[in-house]
Amino acid sequence: MFFLLSSASVLLAVIIRGYQLAGHWTESGQIIFQNILMVFFLQFLIVILSLFYGTSLVTEELEGKTLPYLTSRPVSRAEIIIGKYLASLALTSIMLVSTVLISYLILNIDRDFRLKDLWTVARYSLVLWLGLAAYLSFFTFLSTWLSKPILLGLAFGFGWENVIQYFPGTTQKLSVVHYLKSLLPQYTAASGRLSFLFIRLEPTRDWLSVLILILITAIFLALAALLFSFKEYLMQD
Amino acid sequence: MRVAIEARNLSRWYGNVLGISEINLEINPGITALLGPNGAGKSTFMKILTGQLKANIGEARIFGEKVWNNTHIFRHLGFCPEDDAFYEDLSGFEFLCGLLSLYGYSQAEARGRARQALDLVELSDVGGRQVRSYSRGMRQRIKIAQAIAHDPDVLILDEPLSGLDPLSKRRIIKVIKEFKNAGKTIVVSSHILPEVEALTSEIILIHQGKIIARGDIYFIRDLIDTHPHMIRIKSPQFRQLAKSMASEDYLLKMAFEPENQAVVFETHDRDRFFNRLNELLLSSPLVIDEITSPDDNLQAVFDYLVGK
Repeated sequence: MFFLLSSASVLLAVIIRGYQLAGHWTESGQIIFQNILMVFFLQFLIVILSLFYGTSLVTEELEGKTLPYLTSRPVSRAEIIIGKYLASLALTSIMLVSTVLISYLILNIDRDFRLKDLWTVARYSLVLWLGLAAYLSFFTFLSTWLSKPILLGLAFGFGWENVIQYFPGTTQKLSVVHYLKSLLPQYTAASGRLSFLFIRLEPTRDWLSVLILILITAIFLALAALLFSFKEYLMQD
Repeated sequence: MRVAIEARNLSRWYGNVLGISEINLEINPGITALLGPNGAGKSTFMKILTGQLKANIGEARIFGEKVWNNTHIFRHLGFCPEDDAFYEDLSGFEFLCGLLSLYGYSQAEARGRARQALDLVELSDVGGRQVRSYSRGMRQRIKIAQAIAHDPDVLILDEPLSGLDPLSKRRIIKVIKEFKNAGKTIVVSSHILPEVEALTSEIILIHQGKIIARGDIYFIRDLIDTHPHMIRIKSPQFRQLAKSMASEDYLLKMAFEPENQAVVFETHDRDRFFNRLNELLLSSPLVIDEITSPDDNLQAVFDYLVGK
């Protein structure tokens, strides 16, 4: 299902490209892709992928009663949770990066396309991947902590993260999406039809954004590993 | 002899509900059965032994080492949980290989061990099929296979024979006995006495979270045989069956269930009852659809033993 969801951007890109070639869409492929990036990938796909994979890491084992198969093996509980996190990150990264690349190429391959444009898509992919890793880490932590983490995860991913970025000053820095948008500074100025979505961004410097995203990932992953190591999980009949 | 499992003053409760209370015991190599009615604390004890739960008081040790969060000891431990739970989309072979990889085996060794375990539980021919397509007996056997695939020294089996047909039961009993013959320590839980009798003579009776008796099967049978047993037989000729049994002196009571075509016997001598039933079946064209021993029978026996 999530593969299909990820592919929605490819389908969208194909439809828009069709309109573009028919002369009904005048904006350049770059601008259209930026809009898809900011709305679909950044604020929807990486959140939904990490939310569903992250929050199910422990709860799925509990609901399926399969946890004892893992916790009775000679690997530490921290290794189990980190291993599951890395496996989910690998899978979701493949879904994300492949659809970003394909969507970009569909919208931008023409006579003017140069190899250096691939550097742009690599940069987009890296920023999205950092976001995916950070969100997945946070949702993994929720999964080790709460028996029903999905509700809080939804409230965080689609409530807090969306609302907080419109606040001015330092308040907007209490979100993951702020640092992701800060890494795409060329798109903070008004450009494209959906530019109103990020006009209030007061960007953090690139290196600091990357550092904070890495720290968010590391801290929540460490908390998840710690909690999973010492917490008992009771499977209800 | 090296003590394989030790429990010292082991207690565990869930909120206000008691799981187990002050369990002290040592278990040596061989098969030991934990016998008790549902909710007696067998699974709680086994979950503590396998590091799934922490004891509130006391401690459990395997080969002298504490269990909780001790990954080293899990290398020597095989656990077959009670729940019928699997990664349903995997094949039996993939399920075993995946779990074996957690022991650090190379891919080739994990595959070899998985094949060996499938052979032991006689599932080699269906190893490539998804677990979701397995019958109840196959699922139980693949669960045992994952517990024995790494050749552990201690095997903890929570209700391994539950809900199985006689043929599957026989296969699993054979596997468990082979393990015992290799000098391993096996702890098996059950709430059905005849199942346990087929496995071992070393029994621990557990009831309401406490160990109420420990000894060989004959000692336990003597205790239990002082209490009446209920046997329910479903047969189209249930009235004829009741008539044939009615004169037996060990029969205490009979009750009919005409709507189910069944008769429930109460006897204080189970062995003589079944001998007579066998004779009847051999000498007359009686058809029997089902023989059951209602579960609450054991509960009643335990209540009787603890003087309720």
